Parts: sequence; structure tokens; C-alpha cells
Amino acid sequence: MTCSGARLKLFEYLDGELPAEQRPPLADHLGSCPDCQHLVELERAFHEIYVAPLRPDPAPAAAQERVARLLSSLAEPPSPRWRRALHGRRGVIAALLAATLLGGALAGLMLFWAQREASASLLRLADASVEQHQKLARGLLPLDIAAVSPGEAERWFRGKLDFNVRLPDLKAEHLTFLGGRISHLRDFDVAALEYRVDEKNVSLFIIPSEQYQKLGLHPEPKFKMVNRQGYDVIVWSAHGTAYALVSEIGGRSCTVCHSPEERLDATLKPEVHPAR
Amino acid sequence: MDESAEFQQLALKYMDSLHNYGRILTRNEVEADDLLQETLLRGFRAMASLNRDLSAKVWLLKIMKNSHIDRCRRKLSRPMEEELREEQDLPDSSAPLNPEEILVRRLAIEDVRGAIRRLPPVWREAVELRDIEGLSYREIAHVIEKPIGTVMSRLYRGRNVLRSLLQDPAYQAIQPERTRDL
Repeated sequence: MTCSGARLKLFEYLDGELPAEQRPPLADHLGSCPDCQHLVELERAFHEIYVAPLRPDPAPAAAQERVARLLSSLAEPPSPRWRRALHGRRGVIAALLAATLLGGALAGLMLFWAQREASASLLRLADASVEQHQKLARGLLPLDIAAVSPGEAERWFRGKLDFNVRLPDLKAEHLTFLGGRISHLRDFDVAALEYRVDEKNVSLFIIPSEQYQKLGLHPEPKFKMVNRQGYDVIVWSAHGTAYALVSEIGGRSCTVCHSPEERLDATLKPEVHPAR
Repeated sequence: MDESAEFQQLALKYMDSLHNYGRILTRNEVEADDLLQETLLRGFRAMASLNRDLSAKVWLLKIMKNSHIDRCRRKLSRPMEEELREEQDLPDSSAPLNPEEILVRRLAIEDVRGAIRRLPPVWREAVELRDIEGLSYREIAHVIEKPIGTVMSRLYRGRNVLRSLLQDPAYQAIQPERTRDL
């Protein structure tokens, strides 16, 4: 083996990564070449003095705090409330089904079932929206785009999703657009947009219209509002685009889309879209 | 120990390594922080699929690398491999530079750390994963999804450029507009 050949293998040799069959010829060369042997000793000294003491830079305190918060939230059991609620409803549905069958009101039962299914679908969408909102608000899901105008955000989403992203004309005062990301609600991609109103985060999810149609919601009232885990979730569709808005700003969540002077649709049922 | 508790221990144990690797990948402190969060979230969800044949550190570093690639795709930005042709910007040395002069200079560890930060990203990645994180060539190849030959080449070139930087701090290993020091 030549000196240049030996030196090409030096790092692998010192790292203990040189294949077994290549070690004897290198060892033979080092035994007979004082210059190469000296280089090996220098490299070992270099490693001992400068490489072995190296450690990864410690994560900054702020990053450590975020990790601690994340780990703390991950340790919490996954929201058993909605599971219990759904479980309870299964019993109600079964009881109602039995009663309806006994009464022979099959047509009424079918209508009831469709409505209940739509309601359960809406609740599932609302729960998924709340979960995403919590992660966005806590910074567990980073924004893909930030500090851009709504128009720029629309352009950014173009081509990244299977549907057009059209941001609604939001009317609330002190509403700040923070940014957005591609996120997942249940089993489909959505455009997640994050806003800030009076120091509270508001998440707006733009969802594929076919997913909204799968909910089987009645066209009236236009806005469906449910409260889940303390968050108001408003779901609606307009101009072929469907939205789910999650906030914890109470009645003011309506004014995110309606200007304070604008009258809400009088046909809306109070229990679905309450005027608080 | 349940999986949640085991994951917490792993996350705390390797937090510095992961954040450091996030800095190498993103070259941005804020993005490194976000990448660390996303990595831990993905890791937690994938805990059941933890490959016990690999070290947990390698498994987490691999998740971080994949997360970074996904984020680059979402942002339509270029991964770091495309930012630098490996054949350029380095001395055409056929053998390791003699470190005698560096040993005589009695540098501080922080000088070495600073020189590593100045390495082009793909070489810095290989050097740090080997010399700081202690990964084997096979483990590095797994994390960066490159053949072992590429790992050896990057290590070889990265270590040589590192020695050049330590011998002469004015040595320009990389074009300034391509890098941002952290």
C-alpha cells in the first residue's frame, strides 16, 4: 500500500469503520512507514483534544420551555368527554330506534336518523376543528406562512390543495391575520388560517365542499354553531366554499364575519345561531 | 414504563441533539424550534413504530430529517442538498491535511465549534452527526438517506475543510451568500 492510499483510508481507520479485509494491509503499511504512523498519532491527538469534548449546543431556554409544554400536553389523556358523549348518544339512538320501530313510524325514523347522523358528523367536524385550533393556538402546529396579506395567503395555497382557497371577507375590528398552513381535519386536508382578535386566537378552516356536503346538513339555517369544550365552532358554506371557524370569544365570534351593524338572518334558529 | 413516559424521557434526553440538528437543517433558530416541535409530535404519534434495531436518537433524527423535507416541499423551498454542489469550494486534497499546525495553535473548543458552524450544510451535517452525535457511518446514511459512500465522502471533505478553517480562520470554505451563521 502506498502512503497516499493509506492516507485516504485514515479517517475510516480511526473511526473504526474500515472493513476488516482492508485493515491488515493498512496496519502493515503503518508499521513500516514512520510518516504515516506519525500522521495517525497526530489525528488521534486532534480527536482527543478538539473532537471528543464537543457536545451539541444546548437548546435555548425558550425552546426547552416549548418542549416541556408540548410533552405536558401529550401526556394528557385524549379528550374522553366527546367519546363518552358519543357513547351515550348510541344508547339514545338505540332506544329511539326501538320505540320508533314499535310505533311503526318507519318514515319518521329514517328522517330522524338522517338528522342525527348529520348532527354527529357536525360534532365530529367540530371536535376535530377544536383539536386543531388548540394546537395552532399553542404553537404546536407551526404556520407555513406568516406575516402576509390574506391575498398573498390565497395565492400561496393555490395548487397546494385540491380545491380553491378563498378567504372570507372578515369584518371584526382588531382582527389580525397571523398566517396559515395546510392542516388535517379528520382525514382530509384543509387550509388552516389563524387570526387574532382581542388577544384571543381564532382559527378558520377552509374545507373541501364535498366534505361539507358529506355532513348532510340542512341548507337552512346557513350557519351552524356548536359549542365544544368551551370553544364556539361555526360551520357554513358560501359560494361553493365551506368554512369552520373556531374561537373562544363568545358572541363576538359572529361579528368576525358579520359587521356589528349588519343584521343577522332573522330566519336563523336561536339554538343553532344564537344571538348572544 | 408506558410509551408516553418512555417518549418523554427520550425527548428530554435528546432535545439538545435534535435542536442542534434542526439548526443545521434549517439554518434558522425559529424554524429549528418549530421543527423540533413537529419532530416530537410526529415521534410521539409514531412511538409504536419505534424501530428497536436502531438507537432512539437515530430514530428521532430520522423523523426530524423527514419532517424537514416535508416542510421544504410544503414551502416549495429547496432542501439543502440542492444548494451546494459538493465538488466545489473545497481544496482538492487527496489526503487528510496534517493537523500538526492546529495542535500547536492550542485552540479553544469554541473555536472548533465556530469552524464547524462555518462548514457547508451537507458537510456540517455529516461531521456533526459523526463527531458530535457519535453516529456510525451506517446510522448517518440512514438518517440522511444517502449511501455510505456519500457519507464517507462528505465526512472526508468536511473534515478537511474544517482543518483548513482551523489553520487559517480567513479561509473561505463557502460562498457567503449561501450560508447564514447561527
